[in-house]
Amino acid sequence: MTYPVAAKADDMRSRFNLPLSMSVIRPVVSIGAPLLLWEAAVRLGWIDAFLFPAPSAIAATMWRQTWPDGDLLLHAGRSLYRLLAGMALAIVIGTAVGIAIGMTRWGRAIFKPIISAFMPVPTLAWTPILLLAIGIDDRTTIVVVFIAASFEVIYNIVSGVEMMSRKVFWVARSMGASPSQIFWKVILPGVTPYLITGAKLGTGYAWRALIAAEMLAASSYGLGFMIYDASEYMTMEVIYGGIALIAVLGYFIENVLLGRIEAATVEKWGIQVER
Amino acid sequence: MAPAASTARPKIVASDIGMAFGSVTAIENVSCSIGEREFVSIIGPSGCGKSTFLYLIAGFEKATSGQIAIDGRAIAGPGPDRGIVFQEFVLFPWRTVLRNVTLGLEMQKVPLDEAVEKARKWIRMTGLSGFEDAYPSTLSGGMKQRVAIARALTYEPGILLLDEPFGALDVQTKNYVIRDLQDLWVEAKKTIVMVTHSVREAVLMADRVLVFGARPSRIVADVRIDLPHPRDAADPMLKAYQDQVTSVLSAEVDKSMSVERAR
Repeated sequence: MTYPVAAKADDMRSRFNLPLSMSVIRPVVSIGAPLLLWEAAVRLGWIDAFLFPAPSAIAATMWRQTWPDGDLLLHAGRSLYRLLAGMALAIVIGTAVGIAIGMTRWGRAIFKPIISAFMPVPTLAWTPILLLAIGIDDRTTIVVVFIAASFEVIYNIVSGVEMMSRKVFWVARSMGASPSQIFWKVILPGVTPYLITGAKLGTGYAWRALIAAEMLAASSYGLGFMIYDASEYMTMEVIYGGIALIAVLGYFIENVLLGRIEAATVEKWGIQVER
Repeated sequence: MAPAASTARPKIVASDIGMAFGSVTAIENVSCSIGEREFVSIIGPSGCGKSTFLYLIAGFEKATSGQIAIDGRAIAGPGPDRGIVFQEFVLFPWRTVLRNVTLGLEMQKVPLDEAVEKARKWIRMTGLSGFEDAYPSTLSGGMKQRVAIARALTYEPGILLLDEPFGALDVQTKNYVIRDLQDLWVEAKKTIVMVTHSVREAVLMADRVLVFGARPSRIVADVRIDLPHPRDAADPMLKAYQDQVTSVLSAEVDKSMSVERAR
C-alpha cells in the first residue's frame, strides 16, 4: 500500500540549505554599505568626527577595549549572564503560571487580573523599588529581565494551552495517562512552539530593559553601564561600540540561539504557530 | 424496538442512559447491549447525540442518568481498555509516527524497547512501514488516520471506539482504510463501536447497526447485518440492508429537520 505523502519535509529541508553565500552576502551588503558611506563621510569631513566617529575608529577602540587592556568582554559577559539568568527564570516561572492560567480555574482567578493590570507598566518603573529592596547587585538586573520577559512568555503559553483541543487530553487519558504524564508528555511539548515565540518576543523586551536598568542600577560592568560610563567621559567610540555589540548579541540570541531551538522543534515538527 | 439478542457475551451494557447539556436533552432512555467482539455501527441524523453516546462509553463525559457498564463494571472515566480514534486524527505533532504509536504503552510504563517492538507490529499491519520516523505534519490524511488506528490498537484495548473515522478522508483513501480496518478487525478480535453518518459504511462494516433518532435521541432501530466477513461492497444483500436502514434513518432526518425549522 502506498500513499501520496506531502513533500513538506523536503520543502523544509531546502529552506535550511539556503545557499550559504546568499545568507552571508545579504546582511553584509545591507549593513556594510552604510558603514562604508559613513567612513567616507567622516574622512571627507562631511560630518562631525566627534559626534559620529568613523567605524574604523570605533572598531579600533573596541579592539583596544577587548585586548590587551580593556573590559569589553567582561561588560558583555556580565550583560549576557544577567539576560540568560533572567530569561531562564521567566521561562520556568512564566510557563508554570501560563499553564496554571490556561488549565485551571484558580489559576485564572489568581493570576489573570494581576497580569492584565501590570502588563502595561514599563519594566523600568520597577527598578527604583528593586534597587532599594535588593541593592546594586546582579539580582536587581536579573529581576528586571525576568519582569520584562515573563509577560510575553505567560501570554503565549496561555494561548498555546487554549489552542490545544480537549480531544488531545481525551486521547491521553484513554491511554491511561496520569496527571503528571499529561503535564510532561502532552501539555509541555504541546505548548513548546508558543513558548519559543514567547521567549523570542520576551528576549527583545528583556534586552532593552536590561541595558536601561544597567544604566540605572549597575555599579560596575554590563553593556548599559559601559555606555553610561562612557557618556560621562564623552568617549563616543565606546558608546557606538556598545551599541554595535548590543545589536550583535541581540541578533545572536534571537536568531542563532533561539533559532536553533526553533529549528530543532517547531520547524522539524512542521507546526505553524498562529499569533 | 428491542435490541436484537446478541450471540456473544455482553461487553458493553448501557442501561437507560440520558444526557443533557444544560436545558438541551441530547439523548434519553438509551439502552443497548454490545457483545464481545461485535462490530456495532451507530448512525443517526447530525446533532442527534451519537458521538456523545460514544464519548460516554469512552468515559470522556458523564451521563446525566443511567449507567454504562463494561464487563459488568460501571465506567468511572477513560481508560486503556478502550481505544479511541477521532475523525480529526488528534495525533501528537511533536512525536514521530513510531513514537505516537508507542505513547499508549509509554503511559503505562512499558519499557521503551518493548513498546517499540509492539508498535512496529501495528505499524506494519496498518501499512505504515517506512514512515516510522516521519512527523505527522508530513503525512496525508489517510496516513494520519492509520497512525491514529495503530496508536489505539497498540496498547491492546478490548474495545475500539471510532468517531466518524473516515469523515476527513477522500473517497479513494477511505475505501482503502475501510478495507484494511475490516481485515484488522478480523485479526485483532476487538469489540468495535463506530459512529458514522454513512449508511453504506455502517452496513458494509458492522454486524449490527443502531439507528439513533432525532433529538432527544433514542435508539429507533437495531438492525443485524447477517452477512459473513469480509464483505464485498457489491453484494446485492448489502443493498437490501442499506435500503432498510436508510428508510428508518430518512424518517428520523425528516423529523429532526422539522424540529430545526419549527425553532
